[in-house]
Amino acid sequence: MAALVKSQQVRCKVLKMQRKHTVSRWQRIGIAFVLYGFAVLLGLGSAWWVLKKAPWMVQSVQVGAWKTNLLAGSPDADIYTRATIALNALLALGRDETMYFVAVQDDDGRPLRSHCSYRVEGAPPKAKWWSITAYADDMFLFDAPNKQYSLNGTTARLDANGRFAFTTGVQKQAGTHWLPTPGNRGLVLTLRLYNPEPDLQAAPASLNPPTIHVFGGCA
Amino acid sequence: MKDFTDQHRLWFYRVLTLATTVVLVHIAAVWAVPRVIMQILMHGPIAQSMSMQNQAAFPPPVTAQSRTVVMPSPDLLYSVCVFDVTAGPVRITAQPNLKSYWSIALYAANSDNFFVINDQKSGDKPVDIWLVSPSGSPVERPIPTGAQVVVAPSKTGFLLMRVLTGNYESEKAVIEPARRTLVCKPA
Repeated sequence: MAALVKSQQVRCKVLKMQRKHTVSRWQRIGIAFVLYGFAVLLGLGSAWWVLKKAPWMVQSVQVGAWKTNLLAGSPDADIYTRATIALNALLALGRDETMYFVAVQDDDGRPLRSHCSYRVEGAPPKAKWWSITAYADDMFLFDAPNKQYSLNGTTARLDANGRFAFTTGVQKQAGTHWLPTPGNRGLVLTLRLYNPEPDLQAAPASLNPPTIHVFGGCA
Repeated sequence: MKDFTDQHRLWFYRVLTLATTVVLVHIAAVWAVPRVIMQILMHGPIAQSMSMQNQAAFPPPVTAQSRTVVMPSPDLLYSVCVFDVTAGPVRITAQPNLKSYWSIALYAANSDNFFVINDQKSGDKPVDIWLVSPSGSPVERPIPTGAQVVVAPSKTGFLLMRVLTGNYESEKAVIEPARRTLVCKPA
């Protein structure tokens, strides 16, 4: 009898130890829930990172400081290009209608900042009409006190060599067309070419790109 | 030895399931981004307030306060319409008669630009587009000669008319009536 009781006691002790070292059903469900939640967050986060922070994922052509996406607005665009365009340039037109060149760096490869002054200079591109617009890094217009947001084929004054120039920055630079970019944040310049000539459509790298240089330093 | 192997196999499937979840969520999110953005654009509060379902709307010129669509062009005057060909074709007509650039672009529900006509392509002819459903739309009356039939890849989508304006205030008297020739309504 005593042996039987002892045997029961040992069995109970073993069961208690097993319970102590095994995970309950609810704990398992909780761990699975956390792991799957983490997996979903990782999937969403990696999508956001690819679309916002990994421009190399989207096929583009670079000319000087300017980049253009050849499949913007096109039904041939892959899902990454389509999503990137939807986030950064929704309702873009195909390149046979309009070409978009975007610059986020100057000609020396330094990121464009709104509190720095830049001189942008170039020859009118081969298109029916063109414009260069200054955007903040949220892809919306700066709150320009003079309501000047862009230079275009109508407002640009060409010099004796047939070239246009303008400056961006917090303060106006004397003698130039000025696009105010108040604040201290990222700056994005967008060159639009409406009805670009066929040879430029076929070879976007043949664009004679406007130059972008720091002019007068940073405020 | 058998327990050891089973345990490894179990962990392999667990990790594989989690990795598959990450990849599927990633692809689904990238796929959904343009569609969700277009849905908000077409049916969100701003679209509702402008009453542009199968009806042209004429927003004011772009300013720094324009924050509906990213990268708005300050040099263009926009006109918009959300088309829905579920119940039948939608007819789009316009006759801007402007020498400067203008275009009417159509976008599918996934944001693809599937059609565009501009001042050069249309010449002096008025625009007359009959937009039909991808599965075919019943046409109750004959399509006029000269009208263009366009098949929309999705039942709903977005129309964006762009009219170039170098200086809105000085050109207002000409370009406002020109863009308001846009009509977008069930045929």
